[in-house]
Amino acid sequence: MSERAVDPREFRGYRRADGRVGVRNYVAVVPVSVTASAVAKAVASRAGTGVRALPHQMPLSPNEAARTQVETVLEGVGANPNVAGALYVALGTEDIASEELADAVAATGRPVETLAIREAGGTEAAVDRGVDLAEDLREVASEARRETADTSELVVAMECGGSDATSGLAANPVVGDACDRIVEAGGTGVISETPEFIGAEHILAERCVDDEVREKLLARVERRERMADLMGVDFRGAQPSPGNQAGGLTTIEEKSLGAIAKGGTTPLRDVITYGNHLPVGGGFVVMDSPGYDVESVSGKVAGGAQIVVFTTGRGSTTGNPIAPVVKVTGNPKTYERMHENMDVDASRVLEGESVRTVGGTLSDRIHDVADGTLTAAERHGMAEFAINDLPANEVATLGDPT
Amino acid sequence: MTSEMETEADSLAVRGFVRDGRPSGVRNHVLVVPSVICSGVVAETVAEEVPEATCAPHDHGCGQIGADEAQTRRTLVNVCRNPNVAGVVLVGLGCETISSESLAAQVDVPVRQTAIQTAGGTDEAIEAGREAATDLVREAQQGDRQRVDPAALTLGVTVGDLSDSTVEHVAPETGRLVRAVLDAGGRVVVAGAEALVPHADAASDLTAGAGAADDLQDVLSEHRETVTPTGLRRAAAEQSPGAVTALWDGAPVADVLQYGERATHDAGVAVVDSRGGFEESATALAAAGAQVVVHATADGVPTGHPVVPVVKVTGNAATAGAMPADIDVDATNPDDSLIGVTRGVLDGDASAAEDHGLTSFAISRAGPSL
Amino acid sequence: MKGETIDDAAIRMAPEDNVVTALEDLPAGRAFDVDGGTVTLAEPVEFGHKFALASLDPGDTVRKYGEVVGTATEPIAAGEWVHTHNVVSTRGQPGDEGGEADSDENGDAERRDT
Repeated sequence: MSERAVDPREFRGYRRADGRVGVRNYVAVVPVSVTASAVAKAVASRAGTGVRALPHQMPLSPNEAARTQVETVLEGVGANPNVAGALYVALGTEDIASEELADAVAATGRPVETLAIREAGGTEAAVDRGVDLAEDLREVASEARRETADTSELVVAMECGGSDATSGLAANPVVGDACDRIVEAGGTGVISETPEFIGAEHILAERCVDDEVREKLLARVERRERMADLMGVDFRGAQPSPGNQAGGLTTIEEKSLGAIAKGGTTPLRDVITYGNHLPVGGGFVVMDSPGYDVESVSGKVAGGAQIVVFTTGRGSTTGNPIAPVVKVTGNPKTYERMHENMDVDASRVLEGESVRTVGGTLSDRIHDVADGTLTAAERHGMAEFAINDLPANEVATLGDPT
Repeated sequence: MTSEMETEADSLAVRGFVRDGRPSGVRNHVLVVPSVICSGVVAETVAEEVPEATCAPHDHGCGQIGADEAQTRRTLVNVCRNPNVAGVVLVGLGCETISSESLAAQVDVPVRQTAIQTAGGTDEAIEAGREAATDLVREAQQGDRQRVDPAALTLGVTVGDLSDSTVEHVAPETGRLVRAVLDAGGRVVVAGAEALVPHADAASDLTAGAGAADDLQDVLSEHRETVTPTGLRRAAAEQSPGAVTALWDGAPVADVLQYGERATHDAGVAVVDSRGGFEESATALAAAGAQVVVHATADGVPTGHPVVPVVKVTGNAATAGAMPADIDVDATNPDDSLIGVTRGVLDGDASAAEDHGLTSFAISRAGPSL
Repeated sequence: MKGETIDDAAIRMAPEDNVVTALEDLPAGRAFDVDGGTVTLAEPVEFGHKFALASLDPGDTVRKYGEVVGTATEPIAAGEWVHTHNVVSTRGQPGDEGGEADSDENGDAERRDT
């Protein structure tokens, strides 16, 4: 094949009132602060199938910049296309008003409920009430049916974690191929983990569609690079991590050059701040996030990504409560030892199969997952979620990134 | 109120669990601790499948460096060494910065360890964790509860707020409890330093000894420079230094602990460098070695903690009325005795939080996520 | 990103690279025909790790993917294992922020060698 043919694809998903299409049909139980996380978990656990908690550790009174970011993420996850209905749980004394969150999410046309532990009469009463509300929301959700949708309606998030040398050699190029296919079909492919552009940002910069995007990108990379100064520690102590190094990655440049491969080859159209709205039909875009995987994935899901494609050399097993995470490994030993937690074996590239062929396998798997096939992480109940915090000294020294 | 036959100090004699090389505990937890967020689900599954085991899942352990990594690491190590912990199963992923293996080497309590990548997957790690937890539970259940010398007690007090209700109603109660513990030879750790930031110039008046005064000054200046004022700090500024320290009966501060550090002072009160939120403060107190935590809360934050029993005391009548089953002591009610309730909890009574069983385990960060 | 495998046991990602990555655990003494010459491993190199194709002096650039991935901190002979003990990143030091990408007056990114 000398030219890439656009792969017109359809999938079957849940069309929401706002026109977006979900690949799952969840009720999301979202705590507004850490004080309500345990109740949110208990509600989801008791309510059972289809009800998913997104516990986190954000405080009752975050600082101003952190508060904006937390609100953005809390609203975003409630409005993710995979979410049929949302329940916001608060203690009742949070600075962030759950009613405002609920109103914003309700404006998307999906049912939303709120619950305050104080108002409900305490923990046990709140769990009881929360289960009732979650079951009501699930009842409504059960009326939704999958219908035909187009690949262009997908926002697919690409992530790498537990990287080793095979990530850049095999897994990320394969994901990049799948990313190109999504973009060519009119969809959106998004990468994040800004520290993992350091050393490779000139390549991404060349792909930026205009100066404005380029400047945004470079400013974000610079800001992340300066973050280690806050710790009074050499950044090189964090990147690559000990696990990365054991796996053969020597420097951040080497890691980043391998990491950006998962973004494919198409023009870079925009830089989105953490947790903010990702464009549909937006082509290849970047979201600014830490390299810390769980926060990075959570930010993209808050932005509206329906599916996450996650490469790993060492064998990360994480998932997400509301978005299916497809695990791709380029390390044959990892695939063999941990195949129960892996979805696609990209190590075939190391044995001579073309990136294009294996990219096709991955692309097929993405479509299956969109249609409802469970990923390994889903089968094993892996679901991690965390919101990136903005400590006051970071904001004071490096500015407000929201 | 306590019987006139006993002094309040005597009433703190309770039965607990003898530990090797550590003070006695008042609970007998087998703790399943993930070394990183990625192994949290496995750890929680193990704790679910082994009924007598508890889980302490948190959001960290990946990509941390410098002071931030050191803080998470020492917190995890010291939480594992808390007197209430009979044994620990550490569950890791395999590529994380703070590996379960390295933690196991640092933890000098009965400990077992497994990692997802080494075990060959999440199912395998759950299996290994379950076996380990079952073994540790069996070990933990041997041995009877024995009388605990009150001098071996470390009381943790977390100051959730400095609202008027806390200052007016709760402080006298916590002050009396602190006095009783100190009189019995025990020691106290208070979370945290944040409440003293507006009163930093009084540091030498608040402390016992020049060393503690300097340490306190350092901690308070750092807070002032690097941490945005929280509600707690603003409220503390509205109160006199005496009103704040009344929470621990005005006892002089003998030592200042870093977050996650274990307390080493023999007697008196130490203050730990922690910030407002209950979940993170309670972890600091557990790491310091507190066997019980008293939480002064006007808001009524109801969550417990997997390692230490938490006694919830409020001076806010609306809170006590709104969440009666979550509050142990209504300090506006003369029939409620914090000392009485705390003694009962030390001796094995379930606190309100232990009754509903919902816990949170959070660790404070010392830097941004990278 | 295409790579060229060498004897099915190592991979070079770009022609201008001066390191290649082992695709299996390689023993000392293993020889590879590269660029018309032979490179013999001076020491074992694990799967995923790199070895040098040519000798490097301290300060010389290490290239992988056709790009700069670090500089040598020690003399490195061809066939030697290349990793954190003899290579350091060119980034991460105060003052390195912004790296290689700058805009010239046309707004096009241009590369600088660091």
